[in-house]
Amino acid sequence: MKKGVVKLAIIIISLNLIFLYIGLKFLPQSESRPPKVVKIEEGISPDDLIHVGEEIVFGKGQCMVCHPAKAESGMRAPAMSTIGVEMEKEAKERGVKPEEHVFEALVNPSKYIVKGFEDIMSPVNKPPTSLTDGEIIAVAAYLQSQGGKVTIAYPASLPQLKDQIAKAGGK
Amino acid sequence: MAEAGVSKGILKGVIKFTAILGAGFILLAVFKKMLPLPTEDGYRFFPLIGSRDWIWIVAQLHLNFAAFVLGVPLFAVTMEYIGWKKKDERLDRIAYDFTKLFTLAYTVTAVMGSVFLVSLPLLYPKFVEYMMKILGPTWWLYLVVMYGEVFVCYYYFYSWRKMKDRKGFHIAQGVLLNLLGATLLLITSAWVGFMTTPAGVNADGELLSRWGAIHTHMWIPLFLHRFIANIVFGAGIAAAYAAFRFITAKTDEEKAYYDWMGYTSAIISIGVSLLLPGVGYLLGVEIYSFNEQMGIQLMGGFFAWLWVMQAILIGAILFFINYYLWLSLHKMPGGERYFKYVKFLFIVLLLGYAVWLTPHDVALSLEEARRTGTYHPALGKLGVMAAKNTAVILSYLATFLSFAIFRMSNKEPTVSWAKTGHRARAIIIVVSAAGVLAIGIYSYVVSAAVRVKVLSPIQFGLFFIALIALYVLDNYMYKGARIIGEPRWGKMPERSQYALIAITVTFTWLMGMLGYMRAGARQYWHVYGIMKNTSPDAYLPTHGYASVVVTIVTLVFLALVSLVFWSIMKLEKFAAEKRANS
Repeated sequence: MKKGVVKLAIIIISLNLIFLYIGLKFLPQSESRPPKVVKIEEGISPDDLIHVGEEIVFGKGQCMVCHPAKAESGMRAPAMSTIGVEMEKEAKERGVKPEEHVFEALVNPSKYIVKGFEDIMSPVNKPPTSLTDGEIIAVAAYLQSQGGKVTIAYPASLPQLKDQIAKAGGK
Repeated sequence: MAEAGVSKGILKGVIKFTAILGAGFILLAVFKKMLPLPTEDGYRFFPLIGSRDWIWIVAQLHLNFAAFVLGVPLFAVTMEYIGWKKKDERLDRIAYDFTKLFTLAYTVTAVMGSVFLVSLPLLYPKFVEYMMKILGPTWWLYLVVMYGEVFVCYYYFYSWRKMKDRKGFHIAQGVLLNLLGATLLLITSAWVGFMTTPAGVNADGELLSRWGAIHTHMWIPLFLHRFIANIVFGAGIAAAYAAFRFITAKTDEEKAYYDWMGYTSAIISIGVSLLLPGVGYLLGVEIYSFNEQMGIQLMGGFFAWLWVMQAILIGAILFFINYYLWLSLHKMPGGERYFKYVKFLFIVLLLGYAVWLTPHDVALSLEEARRTGTYHPALGKLGVMAAKNTAVILSYLATFLSFAIFRMSNKEPTVSWAKTGHRARAIIIVVSAAGVLAIGIYSYVVSAAVRVKVLSPIQFGLFFIALIALYVLDNYMYKGARIIGEPRWGKMPERSQYALIAITVTFTWLMGMLGYMRAGARQYWHVYGIMKNTSPDAYLPTHGYASVVVTIVTLVFLALVSLVFWSIMKLEKFAAEKRANS
C-alpha cells in the first residue's frame, strides 16, 4: 500500500514538474505591461509623428490584434501595409477630406465600414484603448503614411479631430 | 461521520460553517485595525509574494474546491436516482461515497473561502468597495444561499441511511442541493462577468441598472461553462479517489468496487467534457460581441501560446483516458478481439495532437510582429483554428470509439441485422470523419466570421450527430446480445489507476491556467474599461511565472484533496471499529 502511495506522489509531482518545465522553457517569456502615455511635443516633425504613430499601432493601440501587416485570406480587418492608399480612395468616394475620413475611422469606426468587413472596432479614444488626442493624431499620420499622402500634423489637425469626436457624441 | 443523527449532524455542520465564517469576519475587523491604512489609490501589500499572487493562489484554491463541491452532487444525485429506479445497490453505494467526499470537502472550501474573504477587502479595499456599491445585494444573497446549501448538504448526507425507504424524498433533497449550488454559481459568475464585460454602469462607473450589471455578456455563458466544467472536474476528483482507494485496497472485493467507481467517474468526466467546447464557444462569442479586441487578445494575442499549452494538456488527458480504456480491454472477456484497432486509434490521436500543438504565429513584440507576420514562418497555416478544430474533433471521435469498443468488447450481437449494423457503424465513422475533415479544409478559404459562426458549429454538430447515431445504433444492436463473459472488475494493472490520477492532475493544472487566462483578459483593469488597476502588480507576468503559480496551486490543492481522502479512510475505519465494539 505504502509503495503504491509513494508511486502516486511521484507521478503527481513529476507531471506538475513536466508542465512547469514546458511553461518555463518552451513558451515565449515576455510580460504584458500597461502602456505608457506617449508625450507628443508641439511642432513634432512629420517623420517623428509617423514613428510615434507606428509605436502606438504596434503597442498601446493593439491595432495588430485585428489588422494584419499584409493582406491575407480571412483577415478580420484591412491590412496595414496599404491602409493609407485605401483610405485615400474611400475618402474620395465619400467626398470627404482625407483627414476627416481617417479621424472618423478611429473615433467613430461604426460610421463607415469597409466593404467585406464587419463592424468590430471600438473607438480608440474610449476605454479600454483610451488614446489621447495627440496619440490619435500620431496614429492617423502613420495610417496615411501606409501608401497615402500624409496631410495630418500635430497640433494643426487637432480641431479636425475634435470635430469628429464631437460628431461621434463624445467630449 | 455517517453515524451521527440527522439533527445532530446538521447542527454540527451549521455551527462549523458559522464558526469559519465568523472567524473570517472577526479576522477582517482585527486586521483592518492593526494594518496601516491603504495607499491613496486603494492598495495594501502582502508580504514577500505580493498581493496579486496571494489573491491568485487563494482564489484559485477556493475555486477548485468550489468546483468540486458543486460538481459532484450533480452526479451523486443522478446515480442515486438511477440506482433507485434500477434497484441497484452498487449505484446507491457509489452515490453515497460521492456524497461523503463532497460533504467533507465543504469544510476545506469554506476555510479557503474565509481566507479569501479576509484577504480581498484588506489588500484591495477600493476595488471591493466599488464592487459592493454595484453588486452588494448579491453578496448578501450569496451568504443566504450558502447557508441554505450547507443545511441541505448535511441533511442529504446524514439522512441517507434513515431515508432509504423514502428515496423519492431524499432524491428531492439532492435536487434542491444542486439547485442551490447552481444559484451560488450564478451569483459568483455575475461578479466575474461584471469585472470582465461590465454593463449597467456609465463611463464613469456610476451604477445605472443593477440588473444590467448582473446580466452582462459573460454572465450566463460563464455560468454554463463553469457548471459543465465543475461536473467534469468533480467526476475527475472522484475518479482519482477511486484510483487512490484501488491502489490502497486490501481485498479483491474492494479492488473490484473501486475499479468500477473509477471507470464510472472517468467516463462521466470525459463524457461531459464533450460539451465543454460548445459552451466555451458560446462564452467566446459573448466575449467577442462585448469587445472584439478583448476576444482576439485572449485567443490570439498575449495568451496565444497558452492555448498551445491548453492543447498539450487536453491532448495529454485524451491520451490518458484512451490508454486507460485500452488497458481496460484486458479485463473484458472477448476484449482481445479489438486489440488490433488500438494502433489506428493511437495514430489518429497522435496526428491530431501534432496539428493541435502547431502554434499560430504569435507576435509578442513589435519587432516580432514586423519580422514574422501573422502565421508561423515554417508551419504556415497549419496552426490556424480551421486545422485545430478538425484535429480536436477527430481526436474526440477516436476517444469515443475507444469507449464504444470497451463497452461492446464482451458482447456478441444476436440481432438478425448485425452484419448491416456493423457496416452502418463503419459508414457513420467514415462519413462523419470525412465530413469534419472536408469542412476543416474548406474553412481555410472563407472569412474568419463564416468559419467561426457557420462552419465550426456545423463541424461540432456533425460530430455530435455521429456520436448520438453510434450510441443509438449500438444500443439497439447489442440489445439482448450474447455476453461472452462479465467484466473482471478489479483485474486491472495498477498503472491504469495512475492514468486516472494523471487525468485529474492535468485537469487541475488546466483549470488553474484557464482561470488565469480568464482573469488576465482584463489586462490592467480591475473592471475592464471602468476601473483601472494602478497597483505595482498591474501587468501580466511571463508564461513561465504563471506556470510556477499554477503548479503551486495544483500541488497545494492535491495535497489538501489527499487529506480529505485520508480523513475519509480514517473515519471509515473509526466507524467500523465503533460498530464492531457495539
